[in-house]
Amino acid sequence: MAAAMKIETGRGARIGVDIGGTFTDLVLLDAGGQVHVLKISSTPAKPEEAVVEGVRRILAKAGIAPDAVDEVLHGTTVGSNTLLERKGAATGLLTTKGFRDVLEIGRVRTPELFDLAWDKPDPLVERRHRLEIRERIAADGSIITPLEEGDVVAAGRNLLDQGITSLALCFLNSYRNPAHEQRAAALLARDLPQLAVTTSTDVLPEAKEYERTSTAVVNAYVVPVMRTYLQRLVEGLAKIGLKAPLLVVNSNGGLATGATAQAKPVFFISSGPAAGVVGAASLGSVAKEPDLVVFDMGGTTAKASLVQGGRISRTNEYEFRAGISTPSRFIKAGGFMMKVPSVDVAEVGSGAGSMAHVDEGGLLHVGPVSAGADPGPACYGIGGDQPTVTDANVVLGYLDPVALAGGTLKLKPELARQAIERVLCGKLKLSVEDAAYGIREVVNANMARAIRAVTVERGVDPRDFTLIAFGGSGPVHACDLARTLGIRRVLFPNLPGVFTALGMLASDVERPFVRAYPRLLAEIDIAEVNAIYAALRDEAQAALKAEGFADREIRFQAEIDLRYKGQDSELSIAVEPPLKGDVLAKLRDAFVAEYRSIYQYASEGAVEVAALRLTGLGVRPSKVDFRAIRIVGDTPPSAGEHRRKVYFNRETGWVDTPVVARSALKQAAAGPLVIESVDTTIVVPPGATAAPDATGNIVVSL
Amino acid sequence: MTTAATPALDPITFAVVKSALDTIVDDMAFTVMRTARSPIVRDVLDYSTTLCDADGQIVAQAKTVALHLGAVPDAIEEVLRLYRDDMNPGDVVIMNDPYAGGMHLPDIFMFMPIFFKDRLQGFSVVVAHHCDMGGRVPGSNASDSTEIYQEGLRIPPLKLFDRGRKNTTLFQLIEKNVRVPDLVVGDLEAQLATCRIGEREFVRLFEKYGEADMKRYVAALLDYAETVTRQAIREWPKGTYRFTDHIDGDGFSDKPIPIQVAITVGDGELTVDYAGSSPQVRGAINSTFSFCKSATYLSVRCVLGRQVPNNSGVFRCIKVSAPKGSVLNPELPAPVAARALTGYRVVDAMLGCLGQIVPTRVVAACEGGNTVVCIGGWDKQTREPFILVDMINGAWGGRATKDGIEGVTNPSQNMSNMPVETLEARYPVRIEEYGYLPDTCGAGEHRGGVGLVRQYRLLAEEATLQLRSDRHTHKPYGIQGGGPASGNRNILNPDRNTRELPAKVTMTMNRGDVIRHEQSGGGGYGDPLRRDLALVARDVANGKISPAYARERHGVVMDPSGAKVDHGATEKLRASMRQAAE
Repeated sequence: MAAAMKIETGRGARIGVDIGGTFTDLVLLDAGGQVHVLKISSTPAKPEEAVVEGVRRILAKAGIAPDAVDEVLHGTTVGSNTLLERKGAATGLLTTKGFRDVLEIGRVRTPELFDLAWDKPDPLVERRHRLEIRERIAADGSIITPLEEGDVVAAGRNLLDQGITSLALCFLNSYRNPAHEQRAAALLARDLPQLAVTTSTDVLPEAKEYERTSTAVVNAYVVPVMRTYLQRLVEGLAKIGLKAPLLVVNSNGGLATGATAQAKPVFFISSGPAAGVVGAASLGSVAKEPDLVVFDMGGTTAKASLVQGGRISRTNEYEFRAGISTPSRFIKAGGFMMKVPSVDVAEVGSGAGSMAHVDEGGLLHVGPVSAGADPGPACYGIGGDQPTVTDANVVLGYLDPVALAGGTLKLKPELARQAIERVLCGKLKLSVEDAAYGIREVVNANMARAIRAVTVERGVDPRDFTLIAFGGSGPVHACDLARTLGIRRVLFPNLPGVFTALGMLASDVERPFVRAYPRLLAEIDIAEVNAIYAALRDEAQAALKAEGFADREIRFQAEIDLRYKGQDSELSIAVEPPLKGDVLAKLRDAFVAEYRSIYQYASEGAVEVAALRLTGLGVRPSKVDFRAIRIVGDTPPSAGEHRRKVYFNRETGWVDTPVVARSALKQAAAGPLVIESVDTTIVVPPGATAAPDATGNIVVSL
Repeated sequence: MTTAATPALDPITFAVVKSALDTIVDDMAFTVMRTARSPIVRDVLDYSTTLCDADGQIVAQAKTVALHLGAVPDAIEEVLRLYRDDMNPGDVVIMNDPYAGGMHLPDIFMFMPIFFKDRLQGFSVVVAHHCDMGGRVPGSNASDSTEIYQEGLRIPPLKLFDRGRKNTTLFQLIEKNVRVPDLVVGDLEAQLATCRIGEREFVRLFEKYGEADMKRYVAALLDYAETVTRQAIREWPKGTYRFTDHIDGDGFSDKPIPIQVAITVGDGELTVDYAGSSPQVRGAINSTFSFCKSATYLSVRCVLGRQVPNNSGVFRCIKVSAPKGSVLNPELPAPVAARALTGYRVVDAMLGCLGQIVPTRVVAACEGGNTVVCIGGWDKQTREPFILVDMINGAWGGRATKDGIEGVTNPSQNMSNMPVETLEARYPVRIEEYGYLPDTCGAGEHRGGVGLVRQYRLLAEEATLQLRSDRHTHKPYGIQGGGPASGNRNILNPDRNTRELPAKVTMTMNRGDVIRHEQSGGGGYGDPLRRDLALVARDVANGKISPAYARERHGVVMDPSGAKVDHGATEKLRASMRQAAE
């Protein structure tokens, strides 16, 4: 399927690719300003195959030569799937003697009080694969016990014999002096090059041994999987003639090179979801919708996040866990800790492909197992025989059997009915329609949990927000979810089915650099500080130039991390190096003002510096501009207004419902209504009103 | 409470208000963590944050130290008794007096009354463990004081701010009586900031929903907690159940100190009586009655479902009594600094007793509560005083369907551990080991968690060590046939002139001295001979138990490689062990 639309002219073709559990979405922005769209089935065993095939097809459809592509931007779920399914590398860990159990002990807290049934998750590295090395560095960085080099290689061999393929190294106080970690890594590279090695200071050169160890271990666990994947992807793209660099979206919504993602995959665990949120926030600023609940439903999972006052909700620590995965600011427990900057996204294992079953007690469950793209929902007719959410949506009339994925997928409603009947109806003693409706209700309740996690559970009332819905299935469920949560306004962007891929085209490249500089603010050496900022700036500039940015496209943001003496948490205060002689009093004033605005008081105590930060921004000259997107050819196969029977709820039963093409909706229309476009279907329930807005979105009022 | 005259509650608003209150107290907890100065508060998280209604009923408490929960209402009662008619916007009251609703002197309670439309609507409350309150031993936590007057500065409920005006007299008095005034004042400021965040957010809810509705929803929240608690208790078999546990000694004498409990299950309510427990003791492990009630409430909470809200509604269903002059309800001038230990034993006795009522909902005994290690002195290098207050925990006992957790907070708190790198950067102390200690778990079909070891070397010239532990002789019990755990040990200088130390220690350390605490694991649940062979093999492979432990406790023989179970030998051994047991 392909559609094209006109946007402002850029310089060269750029492609955004988002891999979901079911579909791989591609968006191509060509030099002439056209946006082309393609959606193909994912290939979960080898996800790169769908990407390469998709790129080949979208280039062919757009008539663009592979070497005319400037860059490929990519969001990937490889990292999160590896953790979720626990199918990463057999991972080992080398620690300082006496500290073998730091990883498993963690920070000893529990996520809830009074819960004696709680399970602490098994660590990613079992105790037998955590070995101790004789070495010790003091808190000031001086060496107390020199590295016993023989221990390192012996431990490496031992673990290799046990089948370990990837190794994390985390020595105590290495953040003050990484010499032992670096030496140990060099020894392993020399003698046991087949082991992948992650040193803790390479991914997180900061104090606190548990956080650093865990971050390094997650990295080591994911490295081989991500490396294999990205290498195959780059090779595959080269084979079809692409010369463009591959950029990957990181968990914070910024872009980085494929090489960085291969070496430090821990920064890319929630790569895909972050891109969607960046896109949503940037669309929100255009559409004058600063307060958004961002809802993204794909084939396998549903994600929610918050944009408040135009600001994306972000976090510095992220805990990945099964069930509902949500970053926490306060409770450290229950997941795999990663101290990396991330967009704050809650994710549940419910999607269009989630399979329904009835348990021994007669209770209907939907998910977390997904039929994915293969064998797919029963109605795909390609081998799946278990009822899924998509099957329910087909049975209930929400989805047009010939219109899904722009007509590339012909659905077989009779197979959906058969699967629901065979698996559910007997046990539930319900009709096919009622069972299908039950699937929808259960999956909606599951997905509402993700939205509640980022709103209600943080004391934010969702009723004050607009829901923005995207992902292939988000628009099919969004209005029901909004009603459940009391949200009265739902926004459907252009191209909701591939919105995450589109969001990547709205991202900038971001390279953060940091240098620890612990001392009292009153005692800093301004010349030294300026020299450090200059060095950080050179590093950032070199990194961005290596990624192809011209000087005029590069910006810098410098910050200094300050806190009161004795505290553990800092505030980042913006600065403009080089600093001048009178800066001390100004910095103190700025810190105190910021501190007072957050904590409602200020202290008279001494202020100290923790670190100096500098972020290099590569500003993309041809970022997608949502205002400029205009639909040119978006006519679904079942074109022309018609009607079909849709089952909205048990009270009303089947309702004869008008079906219109999205491009045909020129003014407000009352529900019930089904709005079809090439990439998704918007379901507008009875009592709601749908209307197009000035920026190409459809807004539904409930 | 909904009557026919009042409109029905909106279920969505009810859920939002409940979560909003939970979020405010968690935001408050987050603020303490971000703004506090001393590691005992900012890293170990020995504090709690609470919102109360105008009567001092807890409406929400953060996921912080659970043991503080029940003490807040008693403390507010005292504050209201003194200031009910003199409570104004801008007031802040602090106190730490154990004999006026407090717990022990290091725990300073701070209350900020919250006003909306000029009417008192509630209190923002922060309790924090300060790293020093003066007295004879750094850290103000010693087990071997004999009167509260030795334990430090005792503060009755006093206004730290009066209509917004700072009480400089009180600040100066505190500053002159503690060893590390910068940290104590810094942490008081953190408490103040946190109270203000709680006040601001609570008022926002009143602005959003209106005074009348907010009051209805808050009352409904308390009623809801009460209702679900009564419903749960109604399912329990009625009757009176008893359990006795012991503390090893009070630090002066090794005479065991009994904690005896009788729980009577009535119609939707519990009566908990501690008659038969020890009279108050000479050493500082006496627990105030408010703290005893706290430990009682939280034990009951642990066997209720997770959906029960964290508020005072639960307390309405539980009546607690302890004889006056007992170790659980002491009278002046009994010392109380190390009272937490007694709180842990109250929880152990309660869970042991509740295990007879709802056996699948309890755990075998946990490690016995955290071990407190205080090392304080003068650092010649920085020319400043230092006080390290470190807490070690822990391991849970085995459970009905699974092993006890290891490397985990005692369920009575929700404390964290101080990162070794933070500790070493801040104090003249080096940690030489921090990890699991094999074979310390109680055996069982579901074993207890293994215990921890933490070893400290003093780098400064001289310091005072104050160490509080227990469970050296009265080890964490197993249940349903499970075995007891190893018990605790304190060792001085494991590398030279090694000396075993008692459970409670106050002594001088010199440069290079090493103190090693080996903490007990948790007790076992169920017959150890029924333990799954694959789990035993996995524990051996991971070095959590030795092959000898597998043989002696579980009747499991590992083959010479140590990697596999010898099934034939195991069957024989288990048969003979079963026979011997009969």
